[in-house]
Amino acid sequence: MALIALGCGAYGFTVGLRNGWEMGAYVAVKLPLIIFITLIVNGLLNGLLGLVLGSGIGFRKSVQFLLTGFAIMAVILGALSPISFFATLNMPSSGDGSGRFAWHGGSLLMHTCLIAFAGITAHARLLHYVREFADSSRAGTHAFFAWLAGNLFVGAQVSWNLRPFFVSPGLKVEFLRDDPFNGNFYEAVIVALKNVSQI
Amino acid sequence: MNENKLDSTTGTTGSLKGGIPPSINDAQSGFVPMEGDASFSNLLSKLLRKPLSIFHELETKEALWKIPVTFILISVVSLTVFGLVVGTFSWGDQIWAAPLKIVSGLMFSALICLPSLYIFTCIGGLEARFSTVVGMLCSIVALSGLLLVGFAPVVWLFSVSSTSAVFIGFMLLALWMICVGFGFTLVFRAGKAMGMTNTGHLLVWCLIFLLVTVQMTTTLRPIVGESDALFNFEEKKFFLQYWSEELQQATD
Repeated sequence: MALIALGCGAYGFTVGLRNGWEMGAYVAVKLPLIIFITLIVNGLLNGLLGLVLGSGIGFRKSVQFLLTGFAIMAVILGALSPISFFATLNMPSSGDGSGRFAWHGGSLLMHTCLIAFAGITAHARLLHYVREFADSSRAGTHAFFAWLAGNLFVGAQVSWNLRPFFVSPGLKVEFLRDDPFNGNFYEAVIVALKNVSQI
Repeated sequence: MNENKLDSTTGTTGSLKGGIPPSINDAQSGFVPMEGDASFSNLLSKLLRKPLSIFHELETKEALWKIPVTFILISVVSLTVFGLVVGTFSWGDQIWAAPLKIVSGLMFSALICLPSLYIFTCIGGLEARFSTVVGMLCSIVALSGLLLVGFAPVVWLFSVSSTSAVFIGFMLLALWMICVGFGFTLVFRAGKAMGMTNTGHLLVWCLIFLLVTVQMTTTLRPIVGESDALFNFEEKKFFLQYWSEELQQATD
């Protein structure tokens, strides 16, 4: 847990830094929070799925496995944070100039790629451990992908509730939006798809 | 009767009376005598870890009505907890109406599907007692209920965040299908372990049970969202019509 707080906190700081020190501190707190809240919300479900799918991995072990996976991801992100910090220092601040939307998009893309890389690498390693520990390799694989699906589904919503992270140009820096529980991630995706289809 | 059940494909006995050691195939499938007694906590643990051992117990021991009764108790408690969380989306009367509708609706669905399950498993070649088939049905509902409790924090997160009753409704339907899918997998495994030769009939029954439970959400509507009346028995609708109308209203 300390590794997650440190690694994700350090990386989160560099994500928010583009919008000032205050936002850097906010994201440093919120990025590890996404992981912890997701694990709390899914803790019971992950344990049940581990047992029902025949992996023999119960509640305590499933939490330990997932914390290990996220700790590996945090270490990778922590190691990447000096690079992210350097990249942020070389970007104009979010309120500057006419190219601010382009820089915002570039920053968003870079961080998404780096976080995805860290997540995929960590979970590939976790899959190996789960398969070895489970009663059968097949059951371990099933349990792992069930956890992954559940964590992605809930994690997307938790990050939606804890927004903003990147602060779109024109919006103010704040810890949480005024209405963090108004709407959900998937409704927003549906609305966005509907808007795109009307273009 | 049970000793004569010979699995034609493996050549091993599918079911065993107490005292005879389980065959290698039975041990591998988990269809072995249950460790411990039929207490609530042991049954709960075995339902999650070694569910087939419960069916072995049901099939080989006399007068074990305690197991189905415990499963019904697990189902009622789990579904009540889940229903309360569903009720937090609308609060008001739904905080007690949603758990009541979910528990009673699912229990009624299970009851009306019990005769067909017995007949279909018999046609499929399963020479099981009626009490074992009751146990199979109760295990589906109990396992689904337990998994729904596991999903309860997720449902709560979305119920406090979402504004759309249709979104919550479809999410709950998807979660129900996932949970009942685990229950169906369990009865298929149990059926095969007990010597069922043709699983096609059981598959048809699973589809019927799913259809009945989904229709029950329409019969007992509204389970999610607010309404002037707690029940709407006058206006009869098929669930596909109801859900498509709801979806249409939400997207307009």
